[in-house]
Amino acid sequence: MAALTEQISLARTGSPARKKPGGLGDQLFRAASYASALLVLLFLAGILASIAYGGWPAFAEFGLGFITSSSWNIGQEQYGALVAIVGTLVSAVLALLIGVPISIGIAVYLTQLCPGWARKPVSMTIELLASVPSIIYGMWGLFIFAPLFAHYVQMPVSSVVEGMPIVGTLFYARVPSGVGILTAGIILAIMIVPFVASITRDMLDQIPTVLRESAYGIGCTTWEVVRHVLVPQASVSIIGAVMLGLGRALGETMAVTFVIGNANRLSGSIFDPGSTIASRIANEFNEADGLQLNSLMALGCILFIITFIVLIIARLLVRRVKVA
Amino acid sequence: MNAAPAITQAQLTGRHQADDQAPIRIAVKDLNFYYGSFHGLKSVNLNFHDRQVTALIGPSGCGKSTLLRTFNRIYSLYPEQRAEGEILLDGQNVLDSKVDLNELRSRIGMVFQKPTPFPMSIYDNVAFGLRLYEKLPKADLDVRVEESLRKAALWDEVKDKLKQSGMGLSGGQQQRLCIARTVAQRPEVILFDEPTSALDPISTGRIEELIEQLRSEFTIVIVTHNMQQAARISQFTAFMYLGELVEFGPTTRIFMNPEKRQTQDYITGRFG
Repeated sequence: MAALTEQISLARTGSPARKKPGGLGDQLFRAASYASALLVLLFLAGILASIAYGGWPAFAEFGLGFITSSSWNIGQEQYGALVAIVGTLVSAVLALLIGVPISIGIAVYLTQLCPGWARKPVSMTIELLASVPSIIYGMWGLFIFAPLFAHYVQMPVSSVVEGMPIVGTLFYARVPSGVGILTAGIILAIMIVPFVASITRDMLDQIPTVLRESAYGIGCTTWEVVRHVLVPQASVSIIGAVMLGLGRALGETMAVTFVIGNANRLSGSIFDPGSTIASRIANEFNEADGLQLNSLMALGCILFIITFIVLIIARLLVRRVKVA
Repeated sequence: MNAAPAITQAQLTGRHQADDQAPIRIAVKDLNFYYGSFHGLKSVNLNFHDRQVTALIGPSGCGKSTLLRTFNRIYSLYPEQRAEGEILLDGQNVLDSKVDLNELRSRIGMVFQKPTPFPMSIYDNVAFGLRLYEKLPKADLDVRVEESLRKAALWDEVKDKLKQSGMGLSGGQQQRLCIARTVAQRPEVILFDEPTSALDPISTGRIEELIEQLRSEFTIVIVTHNMQQAARISQFTAFMYLGELVEFGPTTRIFMNPEKRQTQDYITGRFG
């Protein structure tokens, strides 16, 4: 006790070893950190403004028709974004429908069921999947996956559903080439799984052990624990992870351009080729000028807005779940 | 430091007398427990009497929580942990591999160190365990939920907000909600693993009162690091040290006239 008091008084009477706050260094640091934060805003505003400026002639020429029209005719200089917007949204939603259940399954397996020795290798493999460049997914999707998909899925399914109401349209391939909206959705799903799965796994890991034990403690089976306690408990973070995946799926360019077929056609079938905003831009930017270039810029602007809306919806969802 | 008992006679008076004629609900026979290669419990033999509160006390790491966690086999979530010996619940060995774990856990409820409300409404928190095992019509379910919340002394505080999330309650209320959830399943035994260690003194007092009331219906085993608490609420006390059961007997005797030197040292605060 005496020693402690002595130490404290020593600390107080000792000569000041550090400078007073508010010196030049502190001010510089403050300014630098402000500047870094501002820079981000400036970049964002600058990009948005320049794209909007570039796309303005297209919006001015076609008005609202730019969004509602499905024609994209370079010869007649008629441009409409509907096909690309629909393709972007449908392929991204398909990616989520396929990818999210798989991701949650992986996360649940890794955190609840997996024997200790297998955990590391399986986790590593999934994280490696995230580091595969998207061009590889595109190439693999086009040259290997698409032919197999055409032969083993599109052809048999099309012949079965032909003529049926609804499914006969939705799952009918006029030309079973293997590329199309659903193929893009599948490839995108493979690409978002690593992200969504590893975030979900981390979130499930963070749930306190006592909560899990108390769920088992009232006699729940593993399924009941996961379904009613763990996943709802982590739901806020899982929604966040899903939205991150959605953001990636909406903007993904290279892989999608390879496998979506790049057709400007609105089709009721998810087996048919289509295009997304990103794939359209990637395909045409090289040779575009004049109104076509303006229209591509306008497309970019729309993609920007869509991802922004997704972000806002994500925030709202997260807030609602937190309150409930 | 003197050798005077840390627990005074006054603290022990007014206790219900330990009833060692009460039938034996749980009989632990030659129980050994291992965490991997670590020998956590060493040949423990102990009986728990029906509708009595038995406190397990001892310094950290003595095995009191380990012992508690063998009764509902919650340890079996962890593959490296195993128990050998017999734990007879009404004559049936719960360590038998043929025992249906989910059914066992509905007969032996457990309340943990920290409140663990599930991410659902207050009503659903209580009804959740019921729905697992009983198909009840809505009206009956309502009755059972109310009855359980009343037994947990929580009904008056939550009756107007049953649809709200259980996470919004205070810590003490959450712990009583967990007790209501456990009680709702009408278990035979309730295990409390340091149920007040995360609570303030007032909430602690309410939980202690509650345990006293629950004793009329359930056999209760409570692990506590707080000797005063053990003295206040239990009829029997078991003192454990380094994985062994040192001494077991009526709480009054353990605290006033311990037979073993180690028990004497622990309750007078010489170590622990």
